[in-house]
Amino acid sequence: MIDISHVSMKFNLGIEKGFSIKQAFVNFFDPKYRKKRKKKEFFWALSDVSFHVNKGEVVGLIGSNGAGKSTLLKVVSGVLKPTKGKVTVNGVISPMIELGAGFDEDLTARENIYLNGAILGYSKKFIDEKFEEIVDFSELRDFLDVPVKNFSSGMTAKLAFSIATIVNPEILIVDEILSVGDIKFQEKSKNKMLEMIKGGTTVLYVSHSLSSIKELCDKVVWIEHGKIVDMGETDVICDAYYEAQMGMTPEEALAKKKKEKVKKDKQKKN
Amino acid sequence: MITTIKNIIANFKKYWFLTTQIISRDFKRKYKRSVLGVVWSLLYPILMMAVMAVVFSYMFKGGLNNANYLVYLMTGIIMWNYFSEATRNAMTSVVDNATLINKVYIPKYVFPLAKCLFVGINFLLTLIPWFGLILLTQFGVGTYPASINWYYLLIPIIFVFFFMFTVGVGLILSCVSVFLRDVFYIYGIILTIWNYYTPVFYNITILPPKLQALFKFNPLYQYLTSVRSIVLYGTCPSFATFGILAIIGIGTLLVGAIIFKKNQDKFIYYV
Repeated sequence: MIDISHVSMKFNLGIEKGFSIKQAFVNFFDPKYRKKRKKKEFFWALSDVSFHVNKGEVVGLIGSNGAGKSTLLKVVSGVLKPTKGKVTVNGVISPMIELGAGFDEDLTARENIYLNGAILGYSKKFIDEKFEEIVDFSELRDFLDVPVKNFSSGMTAKLAFSIATIVNPEILIVDEILSVGDIKFQEKSKNKMLEMIKGGTTVLYVSHSLSSIKELCDKVVWIEHGKIVDMGETDVICDAYYEAQMGMTPEEALAKKKKEKVKKDKQKKN
Repeated sequence: MITTIKNIIANFKKYWFLTTQIISRDFKRKYKRSVLGVVWSLLYPILMMAVMAVVFSYMFKGGLNNANYLVYLMTGIIMWNYFSEATRNAMTSVVDNATLINKVYIPKYVFPLAKCLFVGINFLLTLIPWFGLILLTQFGVGTYPASINWYYLLIPIIFVFFFMFTVGVGLILSCVSVFLRDVFYIYGIILTIWNYYTPVFYNITILPPKLQALFKFNPLYQYLTSVRSIVLYGTCPSFATFGILAIIGIGTLLVGAIIFKKNQDKFIYYV
């Protein structure tokens, strides 16, 4: 379903956003600049990442902040092109990387449902059909004709989640969005996710909440500094990751947890 | 070749709804909190024409060969306004949508194209007062009446090539401005020069012949003159002229599309 083979992603830290002629002019007369340019700083957000996700699998991605999880999701969803390597995706992707990315503050909720739906690649007919369902799920019927700028952040997130999950995509890419809204809505959105997973959707899931990862995922990939530390059984990897966050080195943590796992399995057999 | 064209058309179809949504967003934004709303699209060119007519009538009426100066002026104004506004909007469109480009995959050409179409709808609206003026000249507004004839049916073709030219320029500008924000300012200057280089309110026959030749290289002059020759004099532009208009339009669009396509994957690092 998703095949990621030897993907590397290089960012050039030297690129100044919005390079201008003035800057070029100043740099031209700056002797230090040429030296600076020579040792341009590169940053490998991902280096040689490979793994395979089968149809219907729910794969969790864990790792510290800045480990490259979101970059990987962006590469898979096509927002970024990998510097090296190849990503092959079979199926329709619904990216839920950032909710409400295309919301326009000045437009009403009703108008934003159409705009955001279009951004996510839905057709007009599809949105027309599902409009009521989206509104019901978002619990925002009374605020349909209010500009989104007057919404609370929770309300905006609810609306965005409802739009993003209305499709039954073949592949769902989820970046830390289940902590949206109030407790009631969180439950509701988790159930929605579970429903989709049951329906056979392939999921790539990023979260810092290990409990939700353990609950949902069949397999976990642990990424650190752009490289895969290990992947495999959810419990083992998650626990080892937790230990590593608490101060152990990843290798020690993994060894320890794998040992424990073997012990447990033996006990079960006995 | 055929498959690439098929792919391009399929891609257009897929993202057409998104394009219309972006256009409708722009509309809602533009006329937000304005009492007259869309009426401004009709009113604006009339008022512009009225002001310019008062200011320039006596200075630049020369060399018009019994043509109605008001119609001459208004044709120039609406076409020039379309071009300058569409290209200026298209130029900033990619940079303005940086957050979106960073988060969801969308083909980037949608943004400049949507801007050119959005301003294009406005342009079509301005054709209403424009034609209204042409009708009024039949009843003695201005010194001479404008011509009404079957060649009007050819005007849409000219507009299509004009639109292609505009989109081409828009694609190039939106692409370059991602890497070089100075383009925002540089283009403002270029537009001012281009404005005077285009005979919006004067006729080039008042200039020395050597200078006149220079105007042949201005694509806007070509488009403007063809429309004017139909509307003011009732003469059909020659086949060769249509050829030139087509080549400028299609050529610019192709060049713009190629430049844009080659660079669009790099946009995300610079916006």
